[in-house]
Amino acid sequence: MNLTKREVKGRYSQSFFGVAWAIAQPLATMAVFTLVFSRLAKMDSNGAPYPLFAFAALVPWFFFMNSVSSGTLSLITYRNIVTKTYFPREIIPLAQVCSRFIDFFAAAALYVLLMTAYGVGVGVWSLMAPVFFLLLILFTVGLTFATSAMNVFYRDVNPVVQIALQLWLYLTPVAYPLAVVPAKFRLFFVMNPLSAIVEGFRSAVVFNRAPDWQLTAVAAAIIAAVFVSSSVMFKRMDKYFADVI
Amino acid sequence: MSLAIQLDGVTKRYRAGRSRTVVDLIGSNIDRMRGRAQDVHSPTRGRVDATIWALRDVSFEVPEGAGVGVIGRNGAGKTTLLKLISRVTWPTNGHVRVAGRVVSLIELGAGFHPELTGRENVYLGGGLFGLTRREIDRQFDRIVEFADVARLIDTPMKRYSSGLYARLGFSVAIHANPDIVLVDEVLAVGDAAFRRRALESLRQLMTDGKTVLFISHDMWNVRRLCDQVLWMEEGRLKDYGAAGEIAERYMSEVNVQALANQGTALQSHRGGTGEIRYTGVEIVDTAGRTAVLFAPGDTLVVRASYRADRPVARPVFQVAVIDVDTGLVITTATSRPGDAPERVDASGTIECRFPRMPLRPRQYILRLGITDSHQLASYDVVSAGPRFAVSGHGAGVEGLADEEDGLVSLPFEFAHHTGDVRVVHQA
Repeated sequence: MNLTKREVKGRYSQSFFGVAWAIAQPLATMAVFTLVFSRLAKMDSNGAPYPLFAFAALVPWFFFMNSVSSGTLSLITYRNIVTKTYFPREIIPLAQVCSRFIDFFAAAALYVLLMTAYGVGVGVWSLMAPVFFLLLILFTVGLTFATSAMNVFYRDVNPVVQIALQLWLYLTPVAYPLAVVPAKFRLFFVMNPLSAIVEGFRSAVVFNRAPDWQLTAVAAAIIAAVFVSSSVMFKRMDKYFADVI
Repeated sequence: MSLAIQLDGVTKRYRAGRSRTVVDLIGSNIDRMRGRAQDVHSPTRGRVDATIWALRDVSFEVPEGAGVGVIGRNGAGKTTLLKLISRVTWPTNGHVRVAGRVVSLIELGAGFHPELTGRENVYLGGGLFGLTRREIDRQFDRIVEFADVARLIDTPMKRYSSGLYARLGFSVAIHANPDIVLVDEVLAVGDAAFRRRALESLRQLMTDGKTVLFISHDMWNVRRLCDQVLWMEEGRLKDYGAAGEIAERYMSEVNVQALANQGTALQSHRGGTGEIRYTGVEIVDTAGRTAVLFAPGDTLVVRASYRADRPVARPVFQVAVIDVDTGLVITTATSRPGDAPERVDASGTIECRFPRMPLRPRQYILRLGITDSHQLASYDVVSAGPRFAVSGHGAGVEGLADEEDGLVSLPFEFAHHTGDVRVVHQA
């Protein structure tokens, strides 16, 4: 908890706009996506205003991307703490993820403003959003445990993760709906838990309808498997962190 | 009495060489498949043994409430020992058992964030030591008071001096309600007043029944704080016992090793005009044997040979004793009539005798000079002469108590009178 605070303060101190930067990233990306995908490529957004459609997916996406991106390096960054004091080391990558909550909620607040601006009402299915947020957290934490632990042993992990994150954005239905994905690629997209999360957020807060239960169930199973296995792996590797870091 | 720390056959092995990359991993897997030993490649030495044995089969027990000093040369395994006890790392073999909350001061303020204020860092650091917010609230004033940072407590720590940083780190640690405190040479930072207070607080913790493990190269502090000493050498436990005796043997060994290697040749680049030069300097004991190690109260003789290239009238020979750490202790010179010949024109030897030398156990170095009769113009200057060390208690020197501090041991007596005392100086 304290470590989260330290992370957030460290990031935004001595910056004039402070937390405002947290919403700049999805907002700017939304603007570009709107131009490229909606205006130029005439991408279908299932009848919803495209900026809203994109923003609802970009907020969870950036939460995921930023958490994994800085989380992968977190044990190295906090090398001092790892080698000098003992405490449950899961806290270090966990604090990285938690420190992105503030960005997420700031952007979510902006989303509510956008909804009003576009005249989209809040419906009963928006109650599903916390469920998808929970799935998002579990998946992000699980993956960060794995990448941060592996990166202690092999620094090659970090560049691989950073590149993968770049590509992952385009292989997740963020800029486009899952519906436009051809049937032969669909399995690949279903295996990506972020597809279900992004589509889930959209159905909850953009379209106000039930999520794709089947898609969500598959994602939940994968997320549970990732979370459990990487937690176990982290605990196992924990013993050797101080020796090799 | 119950045990605070118990090590049982503990071995710790590290891999040497650069850190592993995926290429190395593949390489070592191939090696493993071929049944070869796991070596690393060294560009200069070919294949070298890849393992470092930081600790080998170390077993010892520390009872609750003890103060144990850990001594040994660099790389002897002292810090590894502390890391194992603090659970930062795990033994390759053997068991480490620890009873209670361990607080390790391997580096002071390790968890602090420079952008946060002192106040925020107290909470951050306390949290890392396992304190709850409420516990820190309760201790907060004491922490700040001990570190003496009240004035700067709401200033970001990046504005703190390194000494202040360390002070707050130390203060948070000892207020974290530890059962076992591990201290690794951290008292080297901070000023003398803080060092004294830190030692005092460690002693207080011991009085309260806490266990303290104290790594230090300062035998003085070790003896002051600890009853027992662990002597580590090349990853093994060399000795474990009464602090005074072991610290003394350690110092003797370190000094003998350091001094045995000193060359006998005098330095070639020297000051002075060179009409007359020293040709050799040796330190001998009363029996005339070359010696490097003395006890306080021993007699030390400096024997220096010289050669004059042309006649020099009334030269003055100087011998100075310099404390390696703190500086000049004494200068002597052949200034009285009869100390040195009126005129020298060939080779000779001069002896300077320090009877019942009252020096503290430390390392010393000699500085020698030859000047004209006014001690103004130098004929020769040997700025770094031979070294010697004083170690241990001098037999037969009275009034040489263990608690003495300072450069020299002077004989002293106290007297005590009851009733009013006439005060000569009065404000």
